Amino acid sequence: MTSHRLPVQPGELIDRDDLVDFRWNGVEHGGFAGDTIASALAAGGVEVFSRSFKYRRPRGILTADFHDPNLFVQVGDEPNVRAGHRRLAPGMNVTAQGTWPSLEFDARAANRIVGRFLSPGFYYKTFISPASLRSTYQRILRRFGAGGKIDPATPPAHAGKRFAHPDVLVAGGGPAGMAAALAASHRGARVMLVEENHRLGGHLLYGGPDAAPPLAELCAQIEADDAIEVLTDSVVSGRYDHNWVGVVERHGGEEHLVKARAKCLVVAAGKIERPFVFAGNDLPGVMLSGAVSRLINLYSVAPGTRVVVATANESGDAAIADLERAGVEVAEVADLRRSSSQLVRAIGKGKLEAVELSGGRKVEADLLVTAVGWTTPTSLLNMAGDRPVYDPAAARFLPGDLPQDVLAAGGIVGDGPVESIVEHGRFVGFEAGRRALTTRAAWQRLTPRAEPSDEVAAESTDIPELPAAGHPELFAGPTDGFVDFSEDVKGSDVAMAVAEGYDSMELAKRYTTATMGPIQGKLGGVNAVAVHAAAAAATIEATGTTSWRPPYAPITLGALAGVDEDPVRYSPMHDWHVANGATPIVAGQWIRPDHYGDPSREVLNTRSNVGIIDASPLGKIDLRGRDVTKLLDFVYTNRWESLRVGAVRYGVMCAEDGVVFDDGVTARLEADRYYMTTTSGGAGRVWNWLDEWLQTSFPTWDVRTTAVTDGYAAMNVAGPRSRELLERVASEVDLSAESFAYMNGRVATVAGVTDCIILRIGFTGELSYEVHVPAGYGLHVWQSLLDAGSDLGIAPFGLEAQRIMRLEKGHFLVGQDTDGLTKAHTAGVGGLIKVDKADFSGKPELLWEGESGAPRRLVALQPVDGSVVPPEASQIVDSATEVSRTIGRVTSSRMSPTLGRSICLAIVDTPYGEGGATLTVRLPEGRDIAATVLDHHVHLDPEGERLRG
Amino acid sequence: MARYPSRYSALSLLRKGATRSNWPRAWRHHELKSSYDVVIIGGGLHGLATAYYLARNHGITNVAVLEKAYIGGGGSGRNTAIVRSNYLTPEGSAFYDRSVQLYEGLTEDLNFNIMFEQRGHMTLAHNDASLRTMRWRAEVNKLGGIDSKVISPAEVKELAPAIDISDRPRYPIHGALWHPPGGIVRHDAVVWGYARGADARGAHIHQGTEVTGIDVAGDRVIGVQTSHGPVATPIVINCTAGWSTLIADMAGVQLPITTRPLQAAVTEPVQPFLDPVIVSGTLHVYVSQTARGELVFGASVDPYSSYSSRGSLGFTEGLAGHVLELMPGISKMRLLRQWAGLCDMTPDFGPIIGPTPVDGFYVDVGWGTYGFKAGPVAGEQVAAMVATGAIPELIASFGLERFEEGALTAEKGAAAVGH
Ligand SMILES: Cc1cc2nc3c(=O)[nH]c(=O)nc-3n(C[C@H](O)[C@H](O)[C@H](O)COP(=O)(O)OP(=O)(O)OC[C@H]3O[C@@H](n4cnc5c(N)ncnc54)[C@H](O)[C@@H]3O)c2cc1C
Repeated sequence: MTSHRLPVQPGELIDRDDLVDFRWNGVEHGGFAGDTIASALAAGGVEVFSRSFKYRRPRGILTADFHDPNLFVQVGDEPNVRAGHRRLAPGMNVTAQGTWPSLEFDARAANRIVGRFLSPGFYYKTFISPASLRSTYQRILRRFGAGGKIDPATPPAHAGKRFAHPDVLVAGGGPAGMAAALAASHRGARVMLVEENHRLGGHLLYGGPDAAPPLAELCAQIEADDAIEVLTDSVVSGRYDHNWVGVVERHGGEEHLVKARAKCLVVAAGKIERPFVFAGNDLPGVMLSGAVSRLINLYSVAPGTRVVVATANESGDAAIADLERAGVEVAEVADLRRSSSQLVRAIGKGKLEAVELSGGRKVEADLLVTAVGWTTPTSLLNMAGDRPVYDPAAARFLPGDLPQDVLAAGGIVGDGPVESIVEHGRFVGFEAGRRALTTRAAWQRLTPRAEPSDEVAAESTDIPELPAAGHPELFAGPTDGFVDFSEDVKGSDVAMAVAEGYDSMELAKRYTTATMGPIQGKLGGVNAVAVHAAAAAATIEATGTTSWRPPYAPITLGALAGVDEDPVRYSPMHDWHVANGATPIVAGQWIRPDHYGDPSREVLNTRSNVGIIDASPLGKIDLRGRDVTKLLDFVYTNRWESLRVGAVRYGVMCAEDGVVFDDGVTARLEADRYYMTTTSGGAGRVWNWLDEWLQTSFPTWDVRTTAVTDGYAAMNVAGPRSRELLERVASEVDLSAESFAYMNGRVATVAGVTDCIILRIGFTGELSYEVHVPAGYGLHVWQSLLDAGSDLGIAPFGLEAQRIMRLEKGHFLVGQDTDGLTKAHTAGVGGLIKVDKADFSGKPELLWEGESGAPRRLVALQPVDGSVVPPEASQIVDSATEVSRTIGRVTSSRMSPTLGRSICLAIVDTPYGEGGATLTVRLPEGRDIAATVLDHHVHLDPEGERLRG
Repeated sequence: MARYPSRYSALSLLRKGATRSNWPRAWRHHELKSSYDVVIIGGGLHGLATAYYLARNHGITNVAVLEKAYIGGGGSGRNTAIVRSNYLTPEGSAFYDRSVQLYEGLTEDLNFNIMFEQRGHMTLAHNDASLRTMRWRAEVNKLGGIDSKVISPAEVKELAPAIDISDRPRYPIHGALWHPPGGIVRHDAVVWGYARGADARGAHIHQGTEVTGIDVAGDRVIGVQTSHGPVATPIVINCTAGWSTLIADMAGVQLPITTRPLQAAVTEPVQPFLDPVIVSGTLHVYVSQTARGELVFGASVDPYSSYSSRGSLGFTEGLAGHVLELMPGISKMRLLRQWAGLCDMTPDFGPIIGPTPVDGFYVDVGWGTYGFKAGPVAGEQVAAMVATGAIPELIASFGLERFEEGALTAEKGAAAVGH
């Protein structure tokens, strides 16, 4: 393959001493360090990089940068890599995407033959019948999908994130952005300067010899300025409310997310050169002027041998100079600033062969360069609420009204020689610095004990105008060409959409998919608007752009996700459980023992001797202050003011709609000190709930809430011999039934550990004590209890045994026996609802439910055949009706080892829930069984003798 | 049978291509008349489907659909287009089952390919509790004759090989609810198909026409005020989803609805690797791959009321984290675009369909995060209700009065993330 590499160019980025080998579609290639994938391939003579999405047309270099729609390639396991931007790395395995069986011979290119029939909305109008074949069509059509390949076995690439708090964040490291950063820094601001390319410089980088001195000077100043943090190969991905700014730092394929709270954002994103719409505008060999300048000046690659240039601006003129310097034969220059001069079409089969100009004149060439104007990258401004305004004189959109904390600088605003651009950047940067420092001072005044900040001049700087230069309105030529290269949408497609009634820009965009592909309209968005306006006989101003949505440039999911931060929680006794044969179960954020081999035996042992369970996942909240009882009275449905020191009470919490959302106990340990437990799953929710009420409705109440779920390990010793056990290890507490009765709580010393909390409560229905110990001593206390109880028959029990025992006692589980509609009356805790309290969460709804009667109720159910356990979720049906109508469902069910029969809780429609009623339960296998409703929820020991003893 | 100005088919497409002639407009421009028999507010899927069925099933064609911006610009053009019927309550699953039936025949009925791809809908269970809910749903669905069952992790892997079913501590996969008829549809196509069908049958679609007031005399509706002047009408149907309380206010009707943003995002396309729609309620995320190869992601509604349709950075971070938890192998895919739409949330995650205390003023609202799949059946039933004056069985339990009677429906468990 011939080399298209030029001799050394003055500003080239490649290191000719550092050869890099890589593969392209299985063939060995070579390039230099500093090359992009595309420049190395172009130097090696590659002309076709991809096939287009719909018509499978061969595509070559168009812009030679990040926004090039034709340069999406697969690199190893990474799809959709932008070869115009990604730097070459040794050993890269680069392949063309979606071009089965090969890039040269694409079977689906047959599609091109029927291309003229593939009008927009083609899919909507075809494959309508027969319906039986539609899924076959769909399967075939999916094979035509764009994009690279994902191998689901790819190892995850999560990368760390960081926060940043720059005073001024500058998006864009061209001359305006660099000048703005310097000026803001001189003003005293800390600056973050973000540049998409691998080097600072913007258009100066590829601006040829004249641009080199000013660029070198700016770079040297930035280098010397410690207050400016420079991120290259990075992009500002989005501007969100309150100047919350996402920045993606790239290191080749690896990305990191930086989340910055910028006090002021300066958008200096420059201009993006737009293509021209004309026949053949996508042929390999047709390039934008910027592409030519980049290839020659940055990578020393000759983009062709004989060129026609169609130019309407200085960027095209500069490309001509570059081409001439590189020794490319300039066959013809069509100056589109003169109305007599026209670019009609590009001609060629698979690549450019000739160009047709005004009057049908054809010029042979293998390179056609167009320079017809700009699409303004106003995306970040748009995200800040700006609506860009079209300026017909400049033939582009310009920023409109910006919020206080966002400024725009340089080419995005206007034009001029480098000095004016730098000057504009400087003024904007200075003003940005002032605004940022004013904000910083204001924030500091709000921070107690902060260093006093410098005084900030209140005067704002008037930023001189940077007028946009006049430019002919060149969007589409006299022939039809592509408006959106990545979506394969032509100008005629947009016009056809308008004619079919899709006559607003949004509808036409959706119908044709123009601007919806990976380039998102950054390149030719304004062309789509112009073509649409022409077809609808409207102005571009009136047509307007569609909204830009974040991100500005696509971000990998790995960067967004960051390292996995979702914690897994283990109790301090976890290792003991593992060592002792526990089978683990996931319970919310916790991993806890489900059982130690035989849950039934665990139940029987607990009921006859003593058992111990690790209850550390329980939510725990320490409450202090004079007004805690008021808070309890508000969040629980029952009454709390009478709770004396040393007492424990059970309560149910309801949301404002009366639906049960948590339950648990709270102990009053001292006059102003309380200890609340919540369900394991509800720990975070309840804490938020308390704080929300305190902050929004009761800010004057004296209550402090501290979540101490992780601070205490908890264990429950349950069973007839639990008191005897605890007496052996607890001190400074009288455990006798008289002085430490059921529903009491004490602070005590257990196994030598002070400040433990003992609550005498009984979820299992047995005499039992819940012992909360400072987490660091959890294992010690656990082990001490086991040791002390070895002669009492102590054995650990897991979650499953606890669930069986609570079901035997008829205690409901929030979320299992209740659902999103279960109000307190339905749950059967009507006795705990004190509607004569002044107010509490859910009161009006519960008052109403109490009066009108609950439509459903929770009942205890026993299958007539006690050997059958109906699986949870079994439906309860009204067998009297013809089509079985659901009247309820089994919410919990187990075989009770204590009773030797199956037991259930169920939610049923109220009329069916009377004690003694017989219901029909439909098992998932389809068989019906009969079950009897009990008078109460309790299957075992309804009098509670075991509990209170 | 309506006469379309031009029927769509592969053959007609070839003919047009060969002669390069243009297609006629899919729907026409009309002058706004001073009166209509029925005025529908909102040119989303619900409004347009209602207009279509009024004409198709009941011959009522003097109908105006008033849309303040462009058709499908609200939730109907922003949703993630999941269609399924495995709801939790018997009334919910019967209703959505009818919608799936309609979707299955819609391409032919509308003569517009809506690209309904029934590649299956899978709701993952990461713990005991959600597996229990899946069983509950499967049992309800079974009784309602809906194809829905609980499957094992191995079956999950077979249907969606990209999912990580390995044993890991935080979000292991214990099984899933599998619903083969579920899938995705091209949302815009459904909107346009109904618009074209309604237009062909005589309804007037007025884009860029905002309703600014509703005229009520006594307790009857008599007309609406619009940005293009007043329109007299005895019947007004409110199909404005996220804006529905603003419209109801104009008629003096209060709805138990709050408007919340719901965010979504899409990636760059890759070759097809994921067939079913995957939902994880525990991780608050769902994902599907479109025919174009993009992954479409969604989550649950934002936790606050707002009319803003801007996306947030935090949303994409959480989303990516959760998606990678399910499919760790796709960390190199790139998020391309994010957006938000407005959702009209009711307390019980059920819609509000029916008459209101103001005579002639009907609502078809409360569609929250799940109303796209309901568009066809809601349109059909609302049309029947308006045409016959009687409330059809399928929507009987969705009336506004249920909030006074306390007879709420209970779809929260199945609709909160699943949509
Ligand atoms: C991100 C997202 C994802 C979703 N995913 C799904 C999903 O996967 N599956 C699913 O079934 N549902 C989903 N939904 C919900 C679904 O999109 C909506 O429920 C559905 O589109 C509602 O349709 P509609 O026609 O009632 O309302 P819309 O489509 O919102 O239409 C209402 C219309 O009313 C117009 N309007 C408002 N005020 C006025 C006025 N004063 N005058 C005239 N016109 C007015 C609006 O401009 C709008 O076009 C999702 C929603 C969102 C936002």
